[in-house]
Amino acid sequence: MIEQYLVAALGSSAVTAVLALSVHRVSRAKAMRQPRVEAGVRIDMLSETNAQQSALIDQQNQQTQELEATLAQLRDDLANQVESNEEIRVSLDAAVEVREQLAQHADRIAAEALRLKSLGATFERWHEQMISLMTQNKDMHAKNQELSSIVRHVVIVSLNASIEAARAGQAGRGFAVVASEVRALAARSEELSKSYRDSLDISDLTTTATFQDIQAGGKMITASLASVEALANQFQSKLHQAST
Amino acid sequence: MISSHAKDSFERIFRKAAQSRLALDSGDACDITPLGQGETGASLAGDVVVLTISSIVFRLILVIHFDEDASTRDYFARNAAERPFQEVFLEICNLCCGAMNQELLRYFPDLGMSTPYVLHARCVSHLEELKPGYLSSHAITINGSVHLAATVCVCAYAPIDFIADVSTVEETSGELEFF
Repeated sequence: MIEQYLVAALGSSAVTAVLALSVHRVSRAKAMRQPRVEAGVRIDMLSETNAQQSALIDQQNQQTQELEATLAQLRDDLANQVESNEEIRVSLDAAVEVREQLAQHADRIAAEALRLKSLGATFERWHEQMISLMTQNKDMHAKNQELSSIVRHVVIVSLNASIEAARAGQAGRGFAVVASEVRALAARSEELSKSYRDSLDISDLTTTATFQDIQAGGKMITASLASVEALANQFQSKLHQAST
Repeated sequence: MISSHAKDSFERIFRKAAQSRLALDSGDACDITPLGQGETGASLAGDVVVLTISSIVFRLILVIHFDEDASTRDYFARNAAERPFQEVFLEICNLCCGAMNQELLRYFPDLGMSTPYVLHARCVSHLEELKPGYLSSHAITINGSVHLAATVCVCAYAPIDFIADVSTVEETSGELEFF
């Protein structure tokens, strides 16, 4: 009996153990299945993240390439700019040199115009010589006037001689011829004196007109030179203003 | 060589200068009458004041004939009794020529003017010797009692053609530059 009981107990224990083992295996299988699912989900998520990061890397690579291209372009531009700046600097240096030369030219023109303005003194000197010439002309006028007065006197004397010759009658005929000849000479002298006076008048006029033309021409030239000097000075000051 | 426009212009410029400078007061009557060819407007007695305006293309000779009679002396020297008449009159002639010069400067940028000089009036009859392109004489009477005559003689060295507008208001400043 006890043996039956023992066998029964052993049997029931074995069944229980088998059942427990089955339950354990089912539970274990269940417990193992859950992490796998979670791991699958994680793998999917990681794969998705990985894909996104790959896309980002691709995008960043593309941006990097673009930036490198831009950088290369900027380098080229910079090189061009440097070259251009050098050209501008050379041009600027040349312009500064030209400006300095122009300023020197303006200086020389102003100085030359100032120097030439003293030509006015030369014209005035010529004009003063006109006064001297006209004084001589006046002297000749006075002498001619005196000559004319003498000639008029000779005419009167010759007339008187003719009258006296006529009174003397036959004896005075020779004297009358002489008196007539003297009167004729006096008339020619008078004519010559008038002609000489006209010549002196013409000389007065032409001398005055000529020397006044010289004097006025000198003032015209002096005024023109003053304009040149003023323009040169203005040009010079503009150049100086531009350089400061 | 001197166009009719230019001759008229010289005439207008002279008239304006004579009326504004030979008449001492703006209220004085200044009658300017043109004289015929060959007339100098006065007898051969007396003296003339000669002035020249020179440019590159012409020279203009202004001759003002005067007799130093009592009415002339009284009129021109009334405000300067202490100075010799001729000095005063030369100054007035200088102003007259200066006014012409000023007007001509509007059309000819390069001009110069001489100082005045006195010659015998007989010389005026020889102005043709200078071969002028324009020669015009005028009798000038101021207040009916002062008698002057003026001759404008222009010798041209290139064609001259310009139209002077003398209607602008006269500027009274800058007279001293003529001296």
